[in-house]
Amino acid sequence: MITKELKEEVYKCIKCGLCLTPCPVYNLLRFEGASPRGRVQLIKKILEGKMELSEHFQSLLFTCLLCETCTANCPSGLKTDRLMKIMRSEIQERLRPDWPKGMLGNLLRDKRRLPFFLFCERTRENLFSSQEGKSGPLGDSEFFRPGSKALRQQVPEVNPVPEPKGKVLYFTGCATNYFFPNVGKSVIKVLNRVGMEVILPRGQMCCGLPLFQAGGRKKALKNIRENLKLFNRKDVDAVVVDCAACGAALKKEYALILEEMGEDAKPAKELAGKVMDISQILARSDLGKWLKPVPGRVTYHDPCHLGRSQGVREEPRNLLRRIPGLELVEMAGADTCCGGGAALPWEHPDVAAGIGRNKVQSIRETRATVVASGCPWCRRQIGENLDEEQIRVVHPVEILAEALNEK
Amino acid sequence: MLSPDVLQKLISIVGPERCKTSREDLLTYAYDAYVREFLPDAVLLPKSTAEVAEIMKVASTRNLFVTPRGSGSGLGAGSLAKQGGIVLSFSMMNRIVEINTANRYAVVEPGVVIGEFQRAVEKLNLFYPPDPGSANVATMGGSVVMNAGGMRGVKYGVTRDYVLGLEVVLPSGEVMKTGTVTAKDVTGYDLTRLICGSEGTLALVTKVIVRLLPKPKTKRTLQAIYNNLDDAGNTVARIIEAGIIPATLELMDQTIIKALEDFAHLGLPLDAAAVLLIDVDGEPETVEKQAAVVAEFCKSQGARDVRVSQSEKENEQLWVARRAAFGAIARVRPTCIIEDATVPVSLLASAIKKILEVGERNRVQIAVLAHAGDGNLHPFFLCDQRDKEEMARVERAMDELVDYAMSVGGTLSGEHGIGIAKAKYLPRQLSPASLNLMRGIKKTFDPQGILNPGSFLEHRA
Repeated sequence: MITKELKEEVYKCIKCGLCLTPCPVYNLLRFEGASPRGRVQLIKKILEGKMELSEHFQSLLFTCLLCETCTANCPSGLKTDRLMKIMRSEIQERLRPDWPKGMLGNLLRDKRRLPFFLFCERTRENLFSSQEGKSGPLGDSEFFRPGSKALRQQVPEVNPVPEPKGKVLYFTGCATNYFFPNVGKSVIKVLNRVGMEVILPRGQMCCGLPLFQAGGRKKALKNIRENLKLFNRKDVDAVVVDCAACGAALKKEYALILEEMGEDAKPAKELAGKVMDISQILARSDLGKWLKPVPGRVTYHDPCHLGRSQGVREEPRNLLRRIPGLELVEMAGADTCCGGGAALPWEHPDVAAGIGRNKVQSIRETRATVVASGCPWCRRQIGENLDEEQIRVVHPVEILAEALNEK
Repeated sequence: MLSPDVLQKLISIVGPERCKTSREDLLTYAYDAYVREFLPDAVLLPKSTAEVAEIMKVASTRNLFVTPRGSGSGLGAGSLAKQGGIVLSFSMMNRIVEINTANRYAVVEPGVVIGEFQRAVEKLNLFYPPDPGSANVATMGGSVVMNAGGMRGVKYGVTRDYVLGLEVVLPSGEVMKTGTVTAKDVTGYDLTRLICGSEGTLALVTKVIVRLLPKPKTKRTLQAIYNNLDDAGNTVARIIEAGIIPATLELMDQTIIKALEDFAHLGLPLDAAAVLLIDVDGEPETVEKQAAVVAEFCKSQGARDVRVSQSEKENEQLWVARRAAFGAIARVRPTCIIEDATVPVSLLASAIKKILEVGERNRVQIAVLAHAGDGNLHPFFLCDQRDKEEMARVERAMDELVDYAMSVGGTLSGEHGIGIAKAKYLPRQLSPASLNLMRGIKKTFDPQGILNPGSFLEHRA
């Protein structure tokens, strides 16, 4: 499973420690086992056969946001995040996964089980209903209202426009489909306005990222293959995603994981070339002329999976700047992870909350009334950690849709 | 191994969460940025002076070895449990206690990261000059007990020049204060500056008082680019001779330039044999004038081009890259041992020549970096520690280099300290009388020899 190149990778770590202070988890916990350098050391010992896989190691390995800050800061170019991701998979195969990860695996790789589970569970307080922020400002999360339907049940498969300038496939992802249908409707509305026909292929599956992060990459192969089959189409201009995590999966992780698993990565690379975050495709459009003034003060949080994974930082900001009357204010450390990554809010709620509090503090200091971010997990995490204050948490595309003028 | 009742006592001081004994946790405290590993028996993470004092009472009663540690970015195993026992990590004692703007001093706990402290005082228009390359990792406590130097040494001196006072815990568990907050103090022996640079062998530092300067109003970063390494070395000597005092004066050779460019993508000149990275700081008018003088000077000494940074951001990017040099060099080979022998600055060019010659003779790849302005060389020995034969050649090359530094009146270590990396060379620089006196001082502070055992003074060849 672990390729020779990755085994050699651990020797690139010269223990300089430059990954320590930027790591949100280390910064909070302040012991070496919670740092990237510490985990790389343990992985090295395991690969050298000097340490056994253990539950304690597993716990340290999963006290990580997979935010990729360490990889971005490593002067010797060590791909720390790849090492951690592969080790997560190794450990889940060799030790029994704990039950939430097992359950997650069974839910996310089945087309019927997930909607059924969510349908049954949404009336009760449980793991998933914490999706809705304490203060309830999470965009228009209608999922937990009685009688609500998933996005793909609410909108047609094909959303045409007269005289289309292009045709795109829309990968909605689970979060938009089940929890944030308003984000999905906004994507369709805005793309239609700039002349794009939007198709939501039926039968699309979870991108698989939550499974990869939990170490279930073998289980997720089915998701990868199905999605590749469905979205690798020559007759469309782009595959659009609104979710940072789905985007990272389709653009980067699929190809890397297939390669790391010794599978054929060619179809994944073909798809990767076509995938665009909604902000990227809109940045190239004439959206500006359709926008009416929306007075207000907004701040933007960079999702790790959009900023660091995909290198998309300026596009969402520029789109917000294009809305007349809307003032974009930068928060301190906008690209610091919010603590919502890699299921940390479930794995280590106290750690995630500690990191979330710092993020929310930076947001407050901007005195913005709206915080925008293109990742559902960031929005959930930020919403969870806000108090009863009136700061609205949205996807940038929701503000854009609201700013569209009458035709 | 610690006995269960000792362990129980320690846990009763810091709690089970901050007393780590699992193999996984111990392995993560077995290293620093040097190449050796030593496994401690326990790691304690105290949060207050009182806890440190309690721990030392247990340690001295039971004769337990204790080794202090900051961020573990040292280059000589100084913070490793070389003979087992407890590693006392100060990472959780990281509060800035006070920044006094009226009297320009600050009080910090030892676990505060230097870079974070610098940024905090700079927000108040103050300035803490000591600036080791590892400032964004290393702690204030670590830099005090190692008397860290760094890039601004040429103009501003080293850590010792800024430490006014300390709060320390003695090996017996007694808490002691040294120095004051005032700039002048001649009351008794200068214990502050004795503990500063003691490599954690005398006492545990639990608070540091440092003096601060007003923040220089502006700064310019110059890159002087050379086709010839010799010319770069000569320029440095001439700048110093001419009485120009830049804030920093760093030299890097082609291997370093390439590794940094590979990491940071700043458009560094990949075909250059050497680059001098020079900061001038101070009042805007003076800085403008000085930058022009330095640029002219470099050109007259053979620089093919001198680039002047246009913005604070550009300054910053260059220095972020420079700080990453040690890590970035791992792109070339997996192991890097840094020498930091220091020579009188007038000999810089010939010292560099000597380094390259030693490398060639022993077939060791050496990249040259230097805090050139104060003659502080940083030859990087690039190797792979898994290759025993290569490591033997590295060892030989280092021996030769030390011989050279000694022969020209230089020093074994300018700023990294002795640790175990250079302990065997110590008698070459220090006379038996000097070593005996030092051992006597050690014995006075730590009669049981429980603090940082196996350190430089105890090394026997």
